[in-house]
Amino acid sequence: MSIIKTENICKSFGSVEVLKNVSLTVEPGEVVVIIGPSGAGKSTFLRSLNRLEKSTSGKIWIDDKLIEDRVNGHNQVHMHQKERAAILLEMGMVFQRFNLFPHKTALQNVMLAPMTVKGVPEKEARAKAVKLLEQVGLGDKLDAYPAKLSGGQQQRVAIARALAMEPKIMLFDEPTSALDPELVGDVLAVMKKLAEDGMTMLVVTHEMGFAREVADRVVFMYDGVVLEEGTPKEIFTAPKHDRTRQFLQSVL
Amino acid sequence: MMDAINKIIGWMPALIQSTGTTLALSVLSVAAALIFSVFLALGKISRNAVLSSICRAYIFFFRGTPLLMQLFFIYYTLPQLIPALNIQSRFFAAWLAFTLNVAAYLAEIIRAAIESIDKGQMEASRALGLTRGQAMRLVVIPQAYRRMIPPICNEFVMVLKDTSLVSIIALTDLTYQTKIIASNKASALVYIPAMIIYLVITGVFTFIFNRLEKRLSIYE
Repeated sequence: MSIIKTENICKSFGSVEVLKNVSLTVEPGEVVVIIGPSGAGKSTFLRSLNRLEKSTSGKIWIDDKLIEDRVNGHNQVHMHQKERAAILLEMGMVFQRFNLFPHKTALQNVMLAPMTVKGVPEKEARAKAVKLLEQVGLGDKLDAYPAKLSGGQQQRVAIARALAMEPKIMLFDEPTSALDPELVGDVLAVMKKLAEDGMTMLVVTHEMGFAREVADRVVFMYDGVVLEEGTPKEIFTAPKHDRTRQFLQSVL
Repeated sequence: MMDAINKIIGWMPALIQSTGTTLALSVLSVAAALIFSVFLALGKISRNAVLSSICRAYIFFFRGTPLLMQLFFIYYTLPQLIPALNIQSRFFAAWLAFTLNVAAYLAEIIRAAIESIDKGQMEASRALGLTRGQAMRLVVIPQAYRRMIPPICNEFVMVLKDTSLVSIIALTDLTYQTKIIASNKASALVYIPAMIIYLVITGVFTFIFNRLEKRLSIYE
């Protein structure tokens, strides 16, 4: 019973192979942190899970349902578009560059998807959005447009926006990489709280402190391959691979 | 000098009347072209290869041939080819030619504005479960509006001046009326009030478009 399972995901951009047989499993409630140097394929892997990238080959199960079995880029799994969309809704995503909707206030950013996709009535969506924004510490910024918010505040709105769809899994794609150092802490605190509340999380990050403290499992990717995985303790104190050791030395 | 001013005042009623034609033709053709161009732009960027090619070909044709000839084509050539397509109203013929032509230009403006919106906006929308159509309608296009306004304003001013071409099918717009007065009264002075009228109209519309742009910029 895994919530995410991938088998031999491969992805090429032209002749460049960015993912080579990536197989990974995430259990419900687990926090898995993917680390590794730039260009290792971490983000591409994350993005292939919710189809922002189409992998070249490999299988993906979400909540034990096979949604992709690609051969030469073509998906062999035929399911109704609505059914697939419903499964994909189980994943929420937070982006490095926030990607908030600049023409909408914080509140409207959070309300948009529940109202549009799920048909939640406005009043209900608003109440929920207010609650979520309060949870991420932005109860006083409900009517602010993104341009008026700091990067850290924008990212917390983005987290609230993803949570509003009540996902079972949250994907974080370098959520703090675009932030000024002093703003990173607020975002990590929200993520840590989310992990403590039992959310299943798959996080790509360069924040080794977060990985060490919050992760149940750390995955090290290098050059499109999962080189090793283990508990934070195993990875950080006794890495098996030279590459892992070199990487950790360079970032710690 | 007083004599000149008196002459000009005497010509004003006829000039103002013909200005109505110029204004109506510009506003009505740009308005119709705006609606048409949204479909052309969305068609061109659509994933449907057939639809995309048709829109591309349309835009290529209307941007690649002179407006003057398109006007001739609709008013003179079409009826000769197919008698049923004989357009009686000069105004309607001019409106049709301008609408078809301007739509091609506006479609490119709209397409460029839509494509200038950060890809992350579509990605975030898709990750939240919105369909491509919903993301376009609720997220991408509303942001593209503001970026379209300055080039659309520009296009409108061009159209306003290009309407002077309709004198070749003898539609009495401001330019045609000015020419008539100039030859009937044997006085080139009439070009002065005519140019001032063009300036006033473009000035007013530029002001309106600027206000619109500011109003749509509240969130930036």
